[in-house]
Amino acid sequence: MTEDEFARLSTYVHDARKPLNRISMQAELVKMALNGEVPAQKAMAALDKIITSAKDCSDSLSDMTSDFGDTLLD
Amino acid sequence: MLTVLLVDDDAEFTEVACTIIEFLGHEVLTAATLEEARDWLKKETFDHVLLDFMLPDGSGAHLFDELNALPKRPRITLITGHPSVKGVIKGLCGPNIDYLVKPIQREDIEAVLTGKPKVVEDTSEKIEKHFDLLIGESAPMRELYKLIERVSRTSANVMLLGESGVGKEVVAAAIHRASQSEGPYVVTNCGAFSKELIGSELFGHEKGAFTGAVGRKEGVFEQAEGGCLFLDEITEMPIDMQPNLLRVLENKVVIRVGGTKTIPVNCRVVSATNRTMEEIAQSKVLREDIYFRLAVFPITIPTLRERKEDIPLLAKTFIEEFNKDNGSKFSWQESQLNTLQAYDWPGNVRELRHFVHRAAIMSDPTKQVIELPKTIESPFAKKQSTAPALQAGRTIEDVEKELIYATLEKVNGNKTMAADMLGISTKTLYNRLHAYGDLVKED
Ligand SMILES: Nc1ncnc2c1ncn2[C@@H]1O[C@H](COP(=O)(O)OP(=O)(O)OP(=O)(O)O)[C@@H](O)[C@H]1O
Ligand SMILES: [Mg+2]
Repeated sequence: MTEDEFARLSTYVHDARKPLNRISMQAELVKMALNGEVPAQKAMAALDKIITSAKDCSDSLSDMTSDFGDTLLD
Repeated sequence: MLTVLLVDDDAEFTEVACTIIEFLGHEVLTAATLEEARDWLKKETFDHVLLDFMLPDGSGAHLFDELNALPKRPRITLITGHPSVKGVIKGLCGPNIDYLVKPIQREDIEAVLTGKPKVVEDTSEKIEKHFDLLIGESAPMRELYKLIERVSRTSANVMLLGESGVGKEVVAAAIHRASQSEGPYVVTNCGAFSKELIGSELFGHEKGAFTGAVGRKEGVFEQAEGGCLFLDEITEMPIDMQPNLLRVLENKVVIRVGGTKTIPVNCRVVSATNRTMEEIAQSKVLREDIYFRLAVFPITIPTLRERKEDIPLLAKTFIEEFNKDNGSKFSWQESQLNTLQAYDWPGNVRELRHFVHRAAIMSDPTKQVIELPKTIESPFAKKQSTAPALQAGRTIEDVEKELIYATLEKVNGNKTMAADMLGISTKTLYNRLHAYGDLVKED
């Protein structure tokens, strides 16, 4: 792998980690809602955001494979 | 209460993080860029700055000099997406900085803000599990560990004696583990099979040996080749099956039911019973010749009331197990452990374990305190207290039977619950009911 490719890969990993971090934090919020520490409605919104973030993460992984797939074809 | 500045450009992350930090009892302000952060630092004093490493207008590290120059330097925690960044920054900025690595958990935030390590790590003092299985540091248990150690170096057959719930099955597993033998560990319950089926279970059968024997089957002796065979409730084995077992133990070969070929077998046999040695000697549940083959090395496992100092260790372990399975945070108070320790636990470790789990289930899951019932109810205790009023001359079997039915009645016939209250396994309960002729066929 060239240095340039590694830099690109790192960017994708960074992009994928962002939604993972959101998922982790929203999950903590759901736990707190179940424990009665924050209002219960917050759990629903948090779960929706978890689903969105999971999709974002998946998208950025797809972007990565297609980008590196293109490199292979060159 | 701390005043915290959270600098991160991910708005969704900062929003949730703020909810959590506020819930933890702190005040929090946010900035999405270096510029916004600088603005806040001019207007406010902060105790703690949580700083993302990568911001739109530059690295969070650019703020270090400014933070250091403040009259009251806040504590700094860098948020990074990658653990390897840690090393680099440590080299750059010295050890005075904490790190949070994404994805972040609530405990991580709690830990950096309070400056304490994660709660889960420091509260659970390590309780040793001997042979990875057994808990207890009392003298009788240490003696038991020595015996297990010693017998595991031989290939002798072991008989485990002890009241219900003392841990016979766990000790059997510990012996196998300590033996470091390559072969498997096979468990079978001698009380769970009818006279017709026990032969096939132990020795296997050939195809067509009896109605229902569709294929050929290996018995447990063959399955345990080179390893350890645990025969639980050995004294419940039908007496007329015992000569066959004796032959296998003496000759070290089995013949499958319906077969003719002798198959050599080679495994350690660990057996267990909750009858005492005197009972075995006096009653006719086990032939003497079999007893001496099986009990080359008899081990009596101490009751829980003989080793009360182990009760707190066990209670702590059981509540930790419960917490882990249920995401709860229960912990014992010193006085509660004393209460548990004062009780006699006639159903031994199993009764204690069920009691702890029941108490945890009945307690408020959002709190740390476990609510103990006012009295520890055990059908065994009732048996003890009413014992003097019993007529002399009644057999143990009779009293036991009465106790079992009384318990079943109390729980509306729910056998799992009854076994639970009696501190015996459901297997044992079924066996008893079987013996009373109350269950026709169990599979
Ligand atoms: N020393 C111990 N450390 C940890 N757990 C134990 C210990 N002794 C027993 N237990 C636990 O207590 C329960 C009962 O143990 P076990 O099934 O081995 O008892 P038993 O003597 O075989 O009882 P029974 O005669 O009714 O079959 C199990 O959940 C087991 O894991
Ligand atoms: Mg058992």
